Amino acid sequence: MVLHISSALTASALHPLLCFCFHNTYPEMENASGLHRQLASMKKNLFDQGYLDEQFYQLEELQDESSPNFVEEVVTLFFRDSSRSMANIDEALQQCPRDFHRLDKFLHRLKGSASSIGAAKMKNECTRLREFCSEENLDGCLRSFQKVKNDHTILRQKLENYLQLLRQVGPVDRASRSGS
Amino acid sequence: MEEVEKREEGSNDGKLEGGVEVRVLVVDDSPVDRRMVEVLLKKSGAMFQVTSVDSGKRAMEVLGLSEDKTKSPVVDDQKVDIILTDYCMPEMTGYDLLKAVKEQSCQKPIPVIVMSSENEPQRINRCRAIGAEDFIIKPLQTNDVLRLRSYARTGLPPPPPPPPSSSSNAGTKRKMTIELMAESGGGGSERRRPRLTGLAVA
Repeated sequence: MVLHISSALTASALHPLLCFCFHNTYPEMENASGLHRQLASMKKNLFDQGYLDEQFYQLEELQDESSPNFVEEVVTLFFRDSSRSMANIDEALQQCPRDFHRLDKFLHRLKGSASSIGAAKMKNECTRLREFCSEENLDGCLRSFQKVKNDHTILRQKLENYLQLLRQVGPVDRASRSGS
Repeated sequence: MEEVEKREEGSNDGKLEGGVEVRVLVVDDSPVDRRMVEVLLKKSGAMFQVTSVDSGKRAMEVLGLSEDKTKSPVVDDQKVDIILTDYCMPEMTGYDLLKAVKEQSCQKPIPVIVMSSENEPQRINRCRAIGAEDFIIKPLQTNDVLRLRSYARTGLPPPPPPPPSSSSNAGTKRKMTIELMAESGGGGSERRRPRLTGLAVA
């Protein structure tokens, strides 16, 4: 069975089928391990390409029966918060005259939450952006912020795909996936 | 944004001092960080009862403190055993909150631990100078949270201050923590944090 995780609709349509398959027979063990491999490969990719760092492992370690959706919950909180921060940064960069002190406060907030979830690329680019900001180098800020926006968009897409797959894999496989 | 969350947690393995729940007030304007700290506290197995707020102002309200320092609390009935606050917050900073708590005229001011993503020796010294019990670099790890119990007002003495570290190990924050834990046997805060030796935290 080949799975193409290309849209939420596809995934949710498949989900009941997957649940049915996972019940009691051998074929679904293969499906489950296939999904598990896909999940592991996706995660490895995220780390190899530098989008995530080891702090992300901590999120996974904190997920268990009492907080079964912790990773998804924190990632969702992050994208909500970071989107707000980025809108503020956008506005601050357009504002005349520029208030670099105010801009730095928004950057600090964005960098902090990126760091908390292990969003390494974003965190590192935020550091560079803060340097431009402290130099009051507007051009540098604009270029760097564009990179932050790109990283944000890509990370969001990759994590959405990852979380979709995570939901399908289910609790049994989650126990064996951390730290790989 | 109004947000006060109370979560009752407990997973007592029977080996903790007194078996008493430690009431922690977490103060952080970042919803991501608040949630991370809440769950870290809950998962540490060290019996924390967590209340979290998103501003210094809300923290003052929860603590029943007035900004007017001439008014001390009528009864010395502290509602929390320990305060864990972020440093950088809009309006009332963690430093302002720390100062307000320590200036209360009751017998034993509540222990305050300050968190920050910035590893700045000046900032750290400023906080310690007005009585912060500890300063933790974010993101928090499990062993940071486990140390909190020793600061709580349970009547137990705090761990003895360790000698200043002259270590110049490079490496990730996580590795540093593990090495120093092995060295020091888990006591004290300065050696676990490279901030006093001016090392960058990854």
